[in-house]
Amino acid sequence: MSIIPAEMKSGNSMIDRTDRVEDQLVAFLPNLRRFAISLCGSRDVADDLVQAACERALASAERFEPGTRFDAWMFRILRNLWIDVVRRRKTAGVQEDISEREDIAGVSGEREVEARMTLRSVGEAITELPDEQREVLLLVCIEELSYRETADVLDIPIGTVMSRLARARKNLALSAGITPAPARSGVMKGIEK
Amino acid sequence: MTKPDFSDEILMSFADGELDAETSAAIEQAMESDDELVARVALFMETRAAAQTALKPLLDEPVPGHLVAAVERMVEEKRAQTAEPANVVPLRQAGPRLAITRWTLPLAASVAAVIGGIGGYLLALPGAAEQNSLHVAGINSPALGQALATVVSGQETELSDSNQRFRAIATFRDSTGALCREFEVDSPDRSTVISVACRSADAWRVSFAVVAPGTDTGYAPASSTEALDAYLSAIDAQPPLETGEEAAALRAIGQTK
Repeated sequence: MSIIPAEMKSGNSMIDRTDRVEDQLVAFLPNLRRFAISLCGSRDVADDLVQAACERALASAERFEPGTRFDAWMFRILRNLWIDVVRRRKTAGVQEDISEREDIAGVSGEREVEARMTLRSVGEAITELPDEQREVLLLVCIEELSYRETADVLDIPIGTVMSRLARARKNLALSAGITPAPARSGVMKGIEK
Repeated sequence: MTKPDFSDEILMSFADGELDAETSAAIEQAMESDDELVARVALFMETRAAAQTALKPLLDEPVPGHLVAAVERMVEEKRAQTAEPANVVPLRQAGPRLAITRWTLPLAASVAAVIGGIGGYLLALPGAAEQNSLHVAGINSPALGQALATVVSGQETELSDSNQRFRAIATFRDSTGALCREFEVDSPDRSTVISVACRSADAWRVSFAVVAPGTDTGYAPASSTEALDAYLSAIDAQPPLETGEEAAALRAIGQTK
């Protein structure tokens, strides 16, 4: 695990930035778990991942640089663990079956209201995105990392973050039926080019 | 299409607030007369908002008790491991000594106070505004952090936010490779703090400090620096960096700010 570069510093991290890893970990569990569930699509796998990530984070707590984003550091650790799991599964010949994934939005039950139905479908649409698109979407749109920070977490160029993220959002709009509400102009002509 | 052509990535950067001011202005201008462009930008805004809303319930979901318990247990173990002996200067006779050409200073023969410990205490306090402020045995000076990162050994400077003089003595690495600086700070009341601060991640950590009360005529007697020498020995301080090495090390710090 390489040390996260200085560019990952951010002034608006929700986490107290100079605390030690052991002081921040428990409070960060809900965020970490959400990321894990969204990443792997299973609560059981996610909980194992979260626990393993915490263990690893504590073991290498000295490598965390105060002043850098703790959340990004944790996401990176967890995501690397997940990549290991995926690789092991591939070598073991286990096919990832997308149909076994839970609806990560989590709110099952009847679709009483239209609003709820829409939300639910967004959750499903996120679940169904290709992994590489889903992870950039999660980091930027959900966890609010910058493109640069996301690139560092995933070890990919910032241009790749942007192209994957743009594709992810167009796919999401398409499959969840998200159409832009009138923002600045009163007249909308639809979303296609 | 005769209109300026903006790629999806550019429009998305604009929607996410990651675009430079110049291009942003160009897009804003183009949007005034191009509804299609407005729609393309809005798409990126809507998808972000929709994704956030969709995954919000996951954040509110209670973390399973067994997971919380497991993590809390690991945290406890970690804390037990890293518990630091407080206010003790480790004394160890053997070990390589750091050869420092010491400045001759008006220091009292007796050491007035020894604070800190092997772990020291973190100087950078929580909060961005105080990120670089330092509190050392009567020194409370945001300028100190800057001085530590910029003043080369052998030079001194007035700390801009106090009447104190900062003097860099030496720069070296400890046994773990962390960059450390030995320095002294003179106060108007003629007391001098002899101190060692080491770089821990992005912050200076004062790991050792001795307050020597001032005298009118005294020279720096060896006794006031005995504790320091013992400490340097204990942390296995490496020989001081050469001028060039020091300059490079300080530059590296500047870049991480």
